[in-house]
Amino acid sequence: MSATQTARRWVFGAAAVLAVLAALRLAVPAESVPGRMLGAVLDVGYAGSVLRLTVPIAFAALGGIFAERAGIINIGIEGFLIVSALTSVIVARRLPWAGVTGPTALWLAFVAGVLVSVLVAGVFAVLTVRYRSNQVIAGLAVWLVALGLAPFITLTLFDSSSPTIGTLGTWPIPLLSQVPVVGPVLFDASPVVYMMLLATPLAWYALRYTRLGRRIRAAGENPKALDTAGVSVSRVRYAGVLISGVLAGIGGAGFTVGQLGTFVAVGQTSIGGRGFLGIVAYLFGNYNPFAAVGGAMLFAGFDSLQLRLQQIGALDVPSELFGILPFVVVLVTITLVRRTRVPSALGEPYDGEE
Amino acid sequence: MSRLPAWLGRLLRRAAGLSGLERALVSVAAVVAALVLGGFVVLGSGYIASCREPALYLFGTSFCFDPVEVYAAMYQGAFGTQLNQALTLQRMTLLVFTGLAFAIPYRAGLFNIGAQGQFVLAALGTTVTLLWLGPLVSGTSLATAVLVPAGLVAGAAVGALYGLLPGVLKARYGTNEVISTLLLNFIATAVAIVMVKRFFNNPGIQGTVTRSIPEAAVLRPWLFPTGSRFSVAVLAGTLALVVGFWWLLNRTTLGYDIRVLGRQRAAAVFGGVDAARTTVLSMTIAGAVAGLGGALYVMMVVGRWQTGIPALGFDGIAVSVLAGNNPLALVPSGVLFGALQSGGLAINFQLGIPRDLVEVLRGLVILLVATPELFRIAGRYLRRRGRLRPAGGEAG
Repeated sequence: MSATQTARRWVFGAAAVLAVLAALRLAVPAESVPGRMLGAVLDVGYAGSVLRLTVPIAFAALGGIFAERAGIINIGIEGFLIVSALTSVIVARRLPWAGVTGPTALWLAFVAGVLVSVLVAGVFAVLTVRYRSNQVIAGLAVWLVALGLAPFITLTLFDSSSPTIGTLGTWPIPLLSQVPVVGPVLFDASPVVYMMLLATPLAWYALRYTRLGRRIRAAGENPKALDTAGVSVSRVRYAGVLISGVLAGIGGAGFTVGQLGTFVAVGQTSIGGRGFLGIVAYLFGNYNPFAAVGGAMLFAGFDSLQLRLQQIGALDVPSELFGILPFVVVLVTITLVRRTRVPSALGEPYDGEE
Repeated sequence: MSRLPAWLGRLLRRAAGLSGLERALVSVAAVVAALVLGGFVVLGSGYIASCREPALYLFGTSFCFDPVEVYAAMYQGAFGTQLNQALTLQRMTLLVFTGLAFAIPYRAGLFNIGAQGQFVLAALGTTVTLLWLGPLVSGTSLATAVLVPAGLVAGAAVGALYGLLPGVLKARYGTNEVISTLLLNFIATAVAIVMVKRFFNNPGIQGTVTRSIPEAAVLRPWLFPTGSRFSVAVLAGTLALVVGFWWLLNRTTLGYDIRVLGRQRAAAVFGGVDAARTTVLSMTIAGAVAGLGGALYVMMVVGRWQTGIPALGFDGIAVSVLAGNNPLALVPSGVLFGALQSGGLAINFQLGIPRDLVEVLRGLVILLVATPELFRIAGRYLRRRGRLRPAGGEAG
């Protein structure tokens, strides 16, 4: 299935779902429980919130695609998100001591988060590419280290287990943001949402049409051929993992400074499994950036839905069950969607070059 | 090795496999390296943290924490008193169960990341079964004889079912078991909390807690101080189980199928191994073992189901990876991680350092053990350096 076909299907699918929901909205009395639930979903606020919650999942998915297409399994993406979110909070809290405040501090915090994520990705790349780690176990280890570092550092540095910083707010685009319905959702959004909307086509284009993209795909599909063509497989794989570090870093730090404005470090972190949702999103999207981000949007949709349904309080369902709604949806999805074609050389260290 | 009796050497080799010695060296090196790296984490966080009385001055800089002091406190907390030793052994016992839950599927080429969920739900299954059976047999002389096995069976059964699910999904639908077991952990905790809140809550206590299980079902400490919550009988049973699983893996048809499937999947299937059956069985057995751990956690440690169950399932991954997924090696590996756990409590209590440091160490150990090549290269480098040194005292 070609990318344009996939994209067309997604657009049609989304439009169909919206049309059905809108029809139901007209058919059902507005004051009834189903009517209120529909009202919560068919709402500009809901669409905006879905986009914001998509950011970490989508960047995790895009990052995962670059690593796995290059042949390196990256289960540790959740760890990258946590580390970058943690860094951004520390920096944003420390900069005011140096006299830097406001959006400047937040942007610097964002950059620092991405840098640290890239650093961690670099270590992970050296271990998996050069020292041939067991990739699944090393990835789990990255996640577990991050899961320990987050509360350890937060509790030693701050009095609270969830230090607060501000958020970047929205950047309304002149004129376009005035357009009804679409305007407030797409053109009065957080800068990180714009980054996501830009990164998705860029990632797709880069993988498909640039030299690095072709090499990354070759490193994952047929490293021997790449080697024969005189290109270093290791270098390409390093590039793939480092790019995944950049993207995951944008996801983690961007989610923190763009949306949350805080970092919960104890128990379930504020990342709370969104990195893993990203992994499922690209498996679901068959390693295609557009489809993966579509999947991320679907999961974010359920994530946002559970928050809204809780607010309505129309249904007598405990909040914990709502919280796992995205995970259940994801589990069912990966069970039913079985057409994922994994890169042939995924997870295999390449030892042709000495 | 030459000074050991020949039969002991044979036994060791057979127990640990051909490359066992090398693997043991890698594990020891990984632990040492992780502790050193962890020391730097302590130094680093002590550098950026602010405190009134720095614990250490180095090169004119003050640090809030002293790594040596931290590790000393951890050691004391793990082995210092009989009570501490009991806590270490208690954690070790539970970790052997969650470690086995990772090791068995791993030998079949599967990653069971779901021991945590299996443990949590099984703990609830055991609690509910005991609360239900308790009144029926209370006062009779048979109470303990009925309740203890019932609690263990209930835990194992619930765990087995929760391991069966990802096993079937993998065998039937090819669902990636890393993802499915990971997600099932999140789901298990939420389901358990909801069940307790809705149906089994103890109205007398604030928080999500069930009533306490009947006294007759509690596994009492023996040989160790009364307050220790560690039963030597359970330890003996655990060691027997470990030997049993070593035997299962190395001496039975199922064990052979599991190992071949893990090593050479295509060859195994060609040779007549039923991949689907072996996959489902190994995941179910793993779930049952993790579930037994959950049952023991209730019956020996907390006496009820309550929120805040420690991450023993994830620690089990570390224990198993460090042990090279060999059942017998789970015991020393479990002692190490048990000691880290009890030591973590001590540094929190005595020095006010968050015990999450232990989780950092856990991750670092896994990361380093997953990369044996690092130590092979380091070993080769050291050997070469030794040979090149002119005044080495050796000829050549």
